[in-house]
Amino acid sequence: MKSYLTASAAFALAAAPALADEIKVGSVAGVTGPIAELVAPIVAGRNLAAEHVNEQGGLLGGDTLTLVLADSQCDPKAGVDAGNKVVNVDQVVAIVGASCSGATNGMVQAVTIPAGVVSVSDSATAPSITELKDEDLVYRTAPSDAYQGAALAQLAIDSGYTKLAMTYSNDDYNAGIATVFEASFKELGGEITSNQVHEPNKASYRSEVTTLSGGAPEGLAIFAYYGGSGITIIRNSLETGVFGKFLAADGMFDASVLDQIGTENLKGNMMITQSASDPENDAYQMFADAFAATGFDPAAPYAAHGYDATFLVALAIEKAGAADRAAIAVALREVASAPGEVVRPGEWEKAKALIAAGTDINYEGATGTVDFDAAGDVPGFYSVNRVGDDGYEMEFLR
Amino acid sequence: MEAYYGLFVYVLTLLIMGGIYSVLTLGLNIQWGFTGLFNAGIAGFFAVGAYVQAILTTPVFARHLGGYEWPIPVAMALAMLLSAAVGWAVARICIRLRADYLAIATIGIAEIIRLTFKNEAWATNGPRGISQIPRAFSGLPQPYDLLAFLGMIAALVGLIYWLLERARTSPWGRVMTAIRENEQAAAAAGKDVERFRLEAFVLGSALMGLGGALMAQYLRQIDPNVFEPLTGTFLVWVMLIAGGSANNRGAILGAVLIWSLWSATELVTSRLPDDFAIRTAYVRVFLIGLVLQVILQFRPQGILPERRPSLKPRAGRASPAEKTGSQAI
Repeated sequence: MKSYLTASAAFALAAAPALADEIKVGSVAGVTGPIAELVAPIVAGRNLAAEHVNEQGGLLGGDTLTLVLADSQCDPKAGVDAGNKVVNVDQVVAIVGASCSGATNGMVQAVTIPAGVVSVSDSATAPSITELKDEDLVYRTAPSDAYQGAALAQLAIDSGYTKLAMTYSNDDYNAGIATVFEASFKELGGEITSNQVHEPNKASYRSEVTTLSGGAPEGLAIFAYYGGSGITIIRNSLETGVFGKFLAADGMFDASVLDQIGTENLKGNMMITQSASDPENDAYQMFADAFAATGFDPAAPYAAHGYDATFLVALAIEKAGAADRAAIAVALREVASAPGEVVRPGEWEKAKALIAAGTDINYEGATGTVDFDAAGDVPGFYSVNRVGDDGYEMEFLR
Repeated sequence: MEAYYGLFVYVLTLLIMGGIYSVLTLGLNIQWGFTGLFNAGIAGFFAVGAYVQAILTTPVFARHLGGYEWPIPVAMALAMLLSAAVGWAVARICIRLRADYLAIATIGIAEIIRLTFKNEAWATNGPRGISQIPRAFSGLPQPYDLLAFLGMIAALVGLIYWLLERARTSPWGRVMTAIRENEQAAAAAGKDVERFRLEAFVLGSALMGLGGALMAQYLRQIDPNVFEPLTGTFLVWVMLIAGGSANNRGAILGAVLIWSLWSATELVTSRLPDDFAIRTAYVRVFLIGLVLQVILQFRPQGILPERRPSLKPRAGRASPAEKTGSQAI
């Protein structure tokens, strides 16, 4: 065991000084742990951005952008450890990630803010991140979940719902959206007949579903991950005949929901909001075409956010003109916001030329305008996916 | 040069986590190593300490109980005290249970504690957890903040080690070992077995609470995921068994070594292509199980086996008639 440690330490030593033609960026994601199934497309989105950069001339004088993957497990312990590894051992110039809000909160406070490294999370949505004293070093391309809960509540009212039952999985992400949804729905004049929290990964939710049926609700709002509890809840609801209509947030958006429940059983009766991009927007299409070509679904939750986060970091490095942590942190805000010449996903060559010419640029990403506010947050854009004859039918919410 | 500085900082962070886990393994060592109490609910006491520390020291937030902003050392002392109190309550109910039954009961209790913290959102912000927890010495510039924090942990581990060594070689420690080896014999010798078991359980719980208080400070953010059984309980067991159960030095060595192994293996796996890197992340979890298997098969006494206190009579005392030699559990 000891010799193994020595070997790995030696390996780390040998690899640590960045090669002359390589600029490292940390890619911290919850590879293992509770959201593992959502992470693969997000990492693919990040990698696609790096590929675009490297194919179209690379960074600065032709340097390669290398993403160093580290596992944050959705656990602050692992997030801090992963951050320490990429910042200190790999000497990355910036970080994309981490995945979960808790892991991100730990990583930025314990590692990246003290070290002066800028981080852009593509999937941490907790409002507490907005409040951090972050010295302008913590950004995210994922909107705070305050926005999605409100968007779904508005959608429910617009669709004619007045009385809903709701249930949420007891994890940080879904509990956050559910809280906002409940408040917004009531504010808009709706009534929540009952609100039940559930633990994910149980074999059956029949008792929860039965409890929720009181008060004659018109439908059930589900805030859960499809794999953890969402599919089982829908199945139990349909089996018992208690609920036939469902509303959900993006943790439920996956083809496996339709595969396992059957499109015919949900047709016209289910809608899922999703943090999304305007499909009529060229910027989104550019990303979607390229991403689909890699074999992943462009609508996968936070994959586009992963792309935008990585592309922005690359632009910031180019703008900073050097692999310098402090300069990159300053440049990030400049390349993300107006004014400036608009750059879209995949347009690395154009961006590089503009930056070389000293022109201001403004990245308009696959997820929207990605203009960071004072806290480093972005506004939320959402779509609704209704189940139709052949699966999901997406409509962008304006 | 920067690379070496980075490695230095990384080693500091490994030692900090190793030190925090040392406090936990030393706590488990009192319970399991000395007394033979199978506590499979470490994460519960660990969580009590961490949440007490977090709630007492954070500034005001609307989302959870707090705003007391107590001094860090006071909060740490209270974290230990409350953890000990919870340990006492648990022990009062469960301590008579034999080894495996106690294990089952404590697993349940740890999950009850974790789920309570997860669901009592008014106090703990539920699954979102508590952020912006103050850390001792965090005002200093890097790396001095980490150095000072590590120094504090090292001093605490040193103090605990010294106290536990004193306890181990004292008559109290000998009674603990007697209980572990043969409860009936200890009872026949007139020892109040139940009281001694309770003392060991409460002391161990207090240390686990201290471990939690340190972890909360170091991470600056805690949520229920920190206290998952895998890294909250079973990793601590692996550390103690690997280092050497009933050997305090072994407990510390095991904690530092296993944490370093757990952390540093990723430096290798993250250099693989992404497809493999994602898969090998799971191999790291598997590795911990493998290490435990190998150790149990080939070196069940751990890296540093138990060393019984010397039988040389102290001044003015007769030597107790005990056997020497290391005893595998």
